Amino acid sequence: MKNTNKLVNILVPLASVLLAFLIGCIVMLALGANPLVALQNLWVGAFGSLRNLGTTLSRATPLIFTGLCACFAYRCGVFNLGGEGQFIMGSIVCCVIATQSGITGFPGILLCLVAGALAGGLWAMIPGLLKIYRGQNEMIISIMLNYVATLLMGVFYTNWLRDGSVPQTVSVPKETMLQRMFGLRFTSAFVIAVVIGLLTYYFLFYTSKGFQLRAVGLNMTAAQFNGFAVRRYILVSFIVSGAIAGIGGSAELLGTQYRLINGFASGYGFDGVSMALIGQLHPLATMLVAVFFAALRVGSTTMQAATGVPTSVSDIIQALVIVFAVAGLAMVKLPEFKAAIDKLSAKKEVK
Amino acid sequence: MDWTFVSNLILAGVRMATPLIFLALAELYSQRSGLVHIGLEGLASIGSLAGFLVSLVTGSPLLGMAAGAAVGILVNMIYAYATITLCAEQIVYGMAINIFAPALAAFIYRVYFGAGSELVQVALMETVAIPGLKDIPFLGPLLFDQTPMVYLAYALVIFTAIYFNKTKSGLNFKAVGEHPKAAATLGINVIGVRYAASVICGALAGMGGAYLTTCYTTTYVDGNVAGRGFIALAAVIFGRWSAGGVLLACLFFGFCDALQIRLQVGSFGVPYQFFQMIPYLATVVVLGIIGMRKAGPKASGKPYRREER
Repeated sequence: MKNTNKLVNILVPLASVLLAFLIGCIVMLALGANPLVALQNLWVGAFGSLRNLGTTLSRATPLIFTGLCACFAYRCGVFNLGGEGQFIMGSIVCCVIATQSGITGFPGILLCLVAGALAGGLWAMIPGLLKIYRGQNEMIISIMLNYVATLLMGVFYTNWLRDGSVPQTVSVPKETMLQRMFGLRFTSAFVIAVVIGLLTYYFLFYTSKGFQLRAVGLNMTAAQFNGFAVRRYILVSFIVSGAIAGIGGSAELLGTQYRLINGFASGYGFDGVSMALIGQLHPLATMLVAVFFAALRVGSTTMQAATGVPTSVSDIIQALVIVFAVAGLAMVKLPEFKAAIDKLSAKKEVK
Repeated sequence: MDWTFVSNLILAGVRMATPLIFLALAELYSQRSGLVHIGLEGLASIGSLAGFLVSLVTGSPLLGMAAGAAVGILVNMIYAYATITLCAEQIVYGMAINIFAPALAAFIYRVYFGAGSELVQVALMETVAIPGLKDIPFLGPLLFDQTPMVYLAYALVIFTAIYFNKTKSGLNFKAVGEHPKAAATLGINVIGVRYAASVICGALAGMGGAYLTTCYTTTYVDGNVAGRGFIALAAVIFGRWSAGGVLLACLFFGFCDALQIRLQVGSFGVPYQFFQMIPYLATVVVLGIIGMRKAGPKASGKPYRREER
């Protein structure tokens, strides 16, 4: 029975992806494009060459960070929808330090990453504190703070750190930029993301603190009765989750964008929530899902050039995957469905 | 501080509060039936696109509002099916709607207008003055010389207050959100009420979005809902799940929004973004101050299965 459960948990997201692509193909047909040509271009654009693969990994990096951010908090039973704000706060502090402190090179990078983590963690602490002391809805608070962070970033690129007449901040100095790897588009930021993903996985599944954190997420009341410091876990999970996003913001600024500009990180927060939900809150699966959706986005540019299908079709496919996956995962938990599965496996055993 | 400043502020505040009232009432109906819906932002975004396109094609902002309502209902049926029939987690599915609906809106906009960056604009709904009432000194022109949608919003608030407190059907509705099993033993169709609530919620949320493109700004841009779906959620909490309370909360947030626009015009040498933060910070501060006393429907957020005993 346990094995069928695991199998179903993998099959449902896969089926959702197939279904979403099927609908995507119908939309492409309706737009007068050949879906097969479009899909082929999508594939080539994302994975067709080492160069394209590098671009895909580079696009995946921020999504991995915000995905892990959403994943970590939800494992403790709290919904951190503020990944985007925490990511931006990390990048703002990183930008100030990188451009104003004069510390460059490796110490500069290290300082930026740590400061980014602190900024993200502190920003996430606000909804965390309001949650545990005021019982307040952490989702609304964290979303509101996304808007505040985005606007604050606007102050920096239109005013305080503005680079001449263009509404963007001055660039991070060359010596502080993260290095590209193997001459491809992706940087050591990707490696940092993967390491953090592995650490998250190890912490959640192989340490007693991680076990307790998950226990709080699964059943808060039971955890309370067992004497776990539920409120402390909630606050810590918020801070760590925000810190992951904050490092992501720093890494994105130092590795890819170099400047804060209008639209920086826009949508990354909710994307991260998608990744975490489709990856069923498993850090490793979340990372894989992030790479998959990054590939979809990178590939869609090639697809648009070749077939005229707009790139936003990739957003539709991503959105459909989550609509199907969440509904599908709920469906397989229905008692009727479980009974049907049991019947099927019972039949097999008789044979 | 002169009178024109104050009267302009009130006028703008009433106008800004209206989409919030639609959205907050949508949330109120949903939560009263036991469905916590955090997907209003998404419903509003697709509603605002539908409103924009239909009023562009037909030239009638009223039809635009109707289209917003229709599309809101359609999209919300996905949510309703998943959460009521499939018992999916409501918060998670609301989030799925928040991701799905804006993506759909952005896609339709791109397909309809192509890659061209030309800004398409529509005519806004005309204001209709109510004879007699608009001649009340000072308040008259502010409150009774608005678009029909503003009046509709207030009418809906009054209707909702009466419905939930004075009618049998409304009490049954509330019972479903408080204790679905008890409601079911009284012969109330729990599933039916929740679907009905989802239809109302979808329509109102779609109209809240459509208001933005038919009565407020002349064009559609991605992200034009700008967090109003979540501010409306906060308004329901702030308003303690009652129609009157929700109205006051929406007016408060509406005035915050109006205030930030007025202050931006005044500039004062401060970066305008700080003023734009006002509505969001106000929401955080208000929620932090009131805290979460358990005042909401008790069964809100929990799935209902008929065969469970």
